[in-house]
Amino acid sequence: MKELKLILMGFGAVGKGVAESISIKRNNIKDKFGIDFKLVAVGDSSSSAISANGLDEKLLIETKEKKGTLDKYPEFGSNINGEAVLDKVDYDLLVEATPTNIENGEPAKSLTIKAFNAGKDVVTSNKGHLALFFSEMIEIANQNNVEFKYEASVGGAMPIINFAEKTLPSSKIFSIIGILNGTTNYILSRMTIEGSSYKNTLEESQQLGIAETDPTQDVEGIDAACKTVILANSLLGIPATYSDVEVEGISKITSEAIGLAKKEGYFIKLIAEVSKHALKVSPRLIKKNSPYAIEGTLNMATLKTDLADEVTVVGKGAGSIETASAMLTDIINIIKIKYQK
Amino acid sequence: MKMNLVLELQDVPGQLVSVLDPISGLGTNLVTVIHQRDSKNEKGMIPVQITIEGERDNLKQVIQKLTDMNITILEKDGVIVKEKIITILIGHVIDRDIKDTMDQINLLEGISVVGLDVKLEEELESSAMIVIESDAGKKDMVLNKVQEIATYKDLLVVNEI
Ligand SMILES: NC(=O)c1ccc[n+]([C@@H]2O[C@H](COP(=O)([O-])OP(=O)(O)OC[C@H]3O[C@@H](n4cnc5c(N)ncnc54)[C@H](OP(=O)(O)O)[C@@H]3O)[C@@H](O)[C@H]2O)c1
Repeated sequence: MKELKLILMGFGAVGKGVAESISIKRNNIKDKFGIDFKLVAVGDSSSSAISANGLDEKLLIETKEKKGTLDKYPEFGSNINGEAVLDKVDYDLLVEATPTNIENGEPAKSLTIKAFNAGKDVVTSNKGHLALFFSEMIEIANQNNVEFKYEASVGGAMPIINFAEKTLPSSKIFSIIGILNGTTNYILSRMTIEGSSYKNTLEESQQLGIAETDPTQDVEGIDAACKTVILANSLLGIPATYSDVEVEGISKITSEAIGLAKKEGYFIKLIAEVSKHALKVSPRLIKKNSPYAIEGTLNMATLKTDLADEVTVVGKGAGSIETASAMLTDIINIIKIKYQK
Repeated sequence: MKMNLVLELQDVPGQLVSVLDPISGLGTNLVTVIHQRDSKNEKGMIPVQITIEGERDNLKQVIQKLTDMNITILEKDGVIVKEKIITILIGHVIDRDIKDTMDQINLLEGISVVGLDVKLEEELESSAMIVIESDAGKKDMVLNKVQEIATYKDLLVVNEI
């Protein structure tokens, strides 16, 4: 049976989700596609586990959760880290799930370019390098004739990029308007239901682990703006970068404003708008019975097209296994393109 | 001939009758009535679609009568007549001369502020919801004006999608 040798860089929520979903779906993928997944290296910020014969997903997760770093992985743990991991073992595809960095796109950018130049395909959940250097990344992938997929970077498990490309290829997309950040949607939903203040609701969300300790990327609209850039480039062909997006977050939204909106039958949501006329993330009024009126951490997007008119997708925008599901879909799509001719 | 209208009415018993009575007095017949109850706002206003039949002149009189009664005609024969624009301003809305804000909007032709609701917060900040009625096709102009005022007065604007 054909093998697909994977290196996984980044072993946090998403990376561990990828390992777990591979272990859940391994036999299924063997049966359906005739491909055996082999995880040959996994890296975190300071260490790695590397074995050409393949690592055990359960043991990787257990080691990381109990001991903190991957160098504690029995026999194959080491302190080799970063780009060096990619030189240590032969592989076919890089699965990249390191933290999003909106300053310079690292370490994702260098890891990805290194893999491209070595002729390897890459699947990512990262937004930083895409929001800053989208065209450059695609160009290098094309030069090397490799596949580069990033479904998970926008909306986690909510299908949007593959959906638009594979399911709606007949239609031209004019605009995408959506809720692309689950944390802010959760905060605004709670404020709407409970009439609570922004500050208290944020604190409660942090305690629940929905908002991060430093919530800036979410509440100031930065995360949604990165996704706006990715959609603009990939689905609308607009060669935009992060600085082209007009961004206003939700930190100035008051419970009073939400109460006033409610009186007229409206909710306030953090809306991303992607079109030739506007690349914008801002709090907006939406009608309470519209597709935009989703609650909790859900994400949604309405695509306006020429032939299919409006099409709306909804799904979980975050979560370990949910996000990993989108990455596994990307890997399977690469298998279909490259390994099943 | 027939005429389709979408009116904005209070969703309480008797309200529709008080509108229809004067209409029937003008030599026209009511053909259908559809209440769009799923679009009801918290003030209880709903769009009501009516179809009436009569001579051209009588239909004209109906429009005049409804206008005299201060009833908002949202649509006439599928064409939008009045657009309702809702916008929320957040910040020092009152301090930065709320009356001036309203006046500036009212100065635009074919546009009037029909509702204002203000809620105070701590530290003199407040949130204000402004309901504007505009002639069809002027929405962008209104929103640009509101944004211009807000930028000048350092207020956050929350607009409809
Ligand atoms: N969480 C979600 O639901 C979600 C959804 C969609 C997209 N994403 C994106 O997916 C990516 C991963 O998110 P996450 O939630 O899994 O983050 P996370 O829990 O913070 O995990 C990040 C992982 O990357 C590792 N790392 C940091 N620097 C590295 C380096 N130089 N080389 C190799 N590994 C490095 C970290 O190592 P240590 O373990 O040593 O710290 C950690 O294992 C981010 O780009 C995020 O924006 C996340």
